Amino acid sequence: MATKPTATNTGRAGRRTLRLQTGMVSFRRLLLYLVLVLASLFFLFPLAWMIGTSLKTVEEVGQPQLNLLPSIPQWSNYTILFGEDPFYRAYFNSVFIAIIVLFGTVTSVTLVAFSFARLQWRGRNIVFALMMGTLMLPYQATLVPQYVLFYNLGWIRTFNPITIPGFFAGGAAYVFLLRQFMMTIPRELDEAALIDGANPLQVWWYVIVPLSRPAIATVAVFLFVGTWNSLTYPLIYLQRAELFTMPIFVAQKLNLQASPLPWQDVMAASVTFVIPVLLIFIFTQRYFVEGITMTGVKG
Amino acid sequence: MTSDIRLDNLIWVALTVLFIIVTSTGLGLLARAIARWRGLSEGEQRKLFWGITLAGPWIVGFLIFVVGPALASLFYSFNNYKLGESLEWTGLENYRALIMGIGAHGRRFTQAMYNSFYYALIGVPLQIITALGMALLLNNEIRGIRSFRTIFYLPVILAGGPAILLAWRYMLSANGGFVNVILQKLASSFFLFDWLYRGFIFVMEGFNSFYTGLSRGDPLGPLKFVIPGALAILILITLLGDWSESKRARTWGIIQILALIVLAATLPRGLMAAPIDPIWTVVVGLAFLGFILLSAWQGHEGRVRAFQIAALIVFAITLALTLAAAAPDSGDPAPYLIAAAAAAAPVLLSLFGVWSRRKYTLLGIAFAILALAVFIHVIPGQLDGGRLALIPRYLTFGTTLEQPGDLTYLKETYPAEIMSAIWFFALAVVMLAAIALLGDRYPRARRAVLYISLAFFLLFTAGALVDGVRYFRAFDTIAAETGTPAYHFARFRTATAQFPTQDRVPLWMTSELWTKPSLVLITMWSTGAGMLIFLAALKGVPRSLYEAAEVDGAGRTQKFFKITLPMISPAMFYNIVIGMIAALQTFESIYILRTPDTEDTLASAAFFLFVRTFRQLDIGQGAAASWILVVVIVVLTVIQFRYSNWVNYEA
Repeated sequence: MATKPTATNTGRAGRRTLRLQTGMVSFRRLLLYLVLVLASLFFLFPLAWMIGTSLKTVEEVGQPQLNLLPSIPQWSNYTILFGEDPFYRAYFNSVFIAIIVLFGTVTSVTLVAFSFARLQWRGRNIVFALMMGTLMLPYQATLVPQYVLFYNLGWIRTFNPITIPGFFAGGAAYVFLLRQFMMTIPRELDEAALIDGANPLQVWWYVIVPLSRPAIATVAVFLFVGTWNSLTYPLIYLQRAELFTMPIFVAQKLNLQASPLPWQDVMAASVTFVIPVLLIFIFTQRYFVEGITMTGVKG
Repeated sequence: MTSDIRLDNLIWVALTVLFIIVTSTGLGLLARAIARWRGLSEGEQRKLFWGITLAGPWIVGFLIFVVGPALASLFYSFNNYKLGESLEWTGLENYRALIMGIGAHGRRFTQAMYNSFYYALIGVPLQIITALGMALLLNNEIRGIRSFRTIFYLPVILAGGPAILLAWRYMLSANGGFVNVILQKLASSFFLFDWLYRGFIFVMEGFNSFYTGLSRGDPLGPLKFVIPGALAILILITLLGDWSESKRARTWGIIQILALIVLAATLPRGLMAAPIDPIWTVVVGLAFLGFILLSAWQGHEGRVRAFQIAALIVFAITLALTLAAAAPDSGDPAPYLIAAAAAAAPVLLSLFGVWSRRKYTLLGIAFAILALAVFIHVIPGQLDGGRLALIPRYLTFGTTLEQPGDLTYLKETYPAEIMSAIWFFALAVVMLAAIALLGDRYPRARRAVLYISLAFFLLFTAGALVDGVRYFRAFDTIAAETGTPAYHFARFRTATAQFPTQDRVPLWMTSELWTKPSLVLITMWSTGAGMLIFLAALKGVPRSLYEAAEVDGAGRTQKFFKITLPMISPAMFYNIVIGMIAALQTFESIYILRTPDTEDTLASAAFFLFVRTFRQLDIGQGAAASWILVVVIVVLTVIQFRYSNWVNYEA
């Protein structure tokens, strides 16, 4: 993109074109920054609007307005929210579910990926192809009978249908991502460990898991955001106010019967909901980028 | 109370872990036992044990949560099954209601499918363009570009949850929402923006009201022939001039696509009719035979085998069902058996012998005979009641409306009397096949057929267009006389009758014309994942290619279309496939953005499934809907892979 001076660009005329060109380049760069900033505004605005609204009064929220920030910040919107028992309950439920899902899925997924990436066994490629095939199968195909299964187990209105399936290496995409990463670890390492008399489980724990930390972190980060945001499964299975997670709590804050609609309350709850995800994203964003690029095209 | 449930959950978690350890080790031991029995070496046995045991969690989960449920769901879909009640075998009844759009739920499902296709056909291309644009912006080595990348990606993680969707809902409030307020502010400040803004409203409302009319099955009258006609004209025009190898390949490719469209538009409904017409067995056989012949011709032996096996399985099932009298809902099995035999015979024949000239001729003749049988059987149904007589009238720009003053005639009788537009796709297939077959040897005959076809479709399409205008005029006249504007496509007519005035705003979530565009807007906002994939692909394009192009004097646009786009085509393909699948499965955003009034205009196939199963507890129909969705997704994906030769994997 940038024009470099070349050997032919000597003499007065040459210098002049050079100056013209650098002028052009910096103008183009300015334009590029302008477009980038405008686009960033578009992508950031809903978040900013959410935070701004959460500090407004009911009257302000009900009026057509362009002000991002309230005239006087209404911190009481938050104190009211923090005074509600259902809020704490939902938050705690969400955290509880996230911890269990994260623990179960990360462990089982790492184990299965290890088997696919580092162990040689007959039929491995067939089983792996089968697993990749489930990526094609839309989750709707199994949604209904899974419900019947959990219904017959008496698991409706418990956390089990949401937390338990993760332990079975839920998510072929995560297994794939980890496998791709583990394939890049030099094979001599596990061979050396095996010669020293370690069994594959020990190789997994002492050699591969420590070396796969970046990929495991990527999976964990994706998994956390996915679990935290998840609405479908909790909506289907929890069905009882005490069990509600944050997504349901936030969604139910919008009471369509109320007039004017209490958007400031909805947005205050939304802000508390979004904060953990935002923090995780800010501190771990390179894992997102790597994860997507790794599972993407050149997989 | 809740703490009990948490404790309960922890106990179940412990039990699950135990269960997984036991079953995985059990699987490993089983595998080792089999390996020993098969006489594999000690080391081999050990490897198998560890491999299976460690992959065990997934294998066990696959059996419990995928295979079992998938089979169960297939079974439920053939039953009338409400949760907590007993099953009642109803055969294809659930599928019939959904595919034929019978009853309130069937109509809802039809609309949900139309909504899903809107997201796939309008939303996905817009998403791809946005993602590519973002990636191109970020593919500049300037200071701070990483922060911009972070910001561009941020919406993806937010859009997965309800919070930001609620913020969007608030911003998109029709009355006083931020988006509308700022749009109006800008419109009142800048003259040019005002016209752009009103033009935008005009186009959006026009298009979406038209789409709504389509999805409701409003009759289009003769206008419905314009699309197949125009398409045929376009295809025929590309075939003008001298015959060449590339034209031949293209013609056969187009024939395949058109035949698939005809099949997809007729077969599901044909198979769902009660009782089934035996001719559909022949149609299925014809499709298989066509694929077998084509694959053999192109030298794909594996594909030939696959189609042969699939055909035999289908015929075996048909035979079994016929003998069990489950497939034909009533009546004499003889016609079904004859049809099955007629369809199966050429496929069976194709199993034997090498692919010699004689075999091709023989199977080709069988194909032609079966095709003729289908045509003879179908044409009287399509062309009776004077339908055939309508064609010359279109060709001569005459009117086909017999009682233009009668509202019921225009609304119901006439649409029922004119033939299906799909018929003209079939006609185009026949004409193209004739052109392609003649083209190899008889250039003059080919040219003659080409010109005649072109003239036919040109006249026919123009005639249909003129008559279509007449058809809608007739509605207008009635409306003007009696004051009842209850004619169809009324929304389209009112939306486009007048250019939006200055005080008009987009109605977003409150109008059926704006709900789907709102959802598309939000998916465009959160398309960062696609952007990252494009960005990775862009970084992989070798710089030397651009330098070489610059030496040859290529400009920016040329470089983009000739180098960048082909080089990132795998990323493009990946994004399209993933985007289409996601579009059909849209759920959470609909759940958050819907209102009771607009729910049906937003619902995707996945949302319909949720409502049927979990709100109305109709497990049987929910399962049927899920399988239809699975078939649609798989077919779409296969088609995209089949026609992915524009993807350049050399990159």
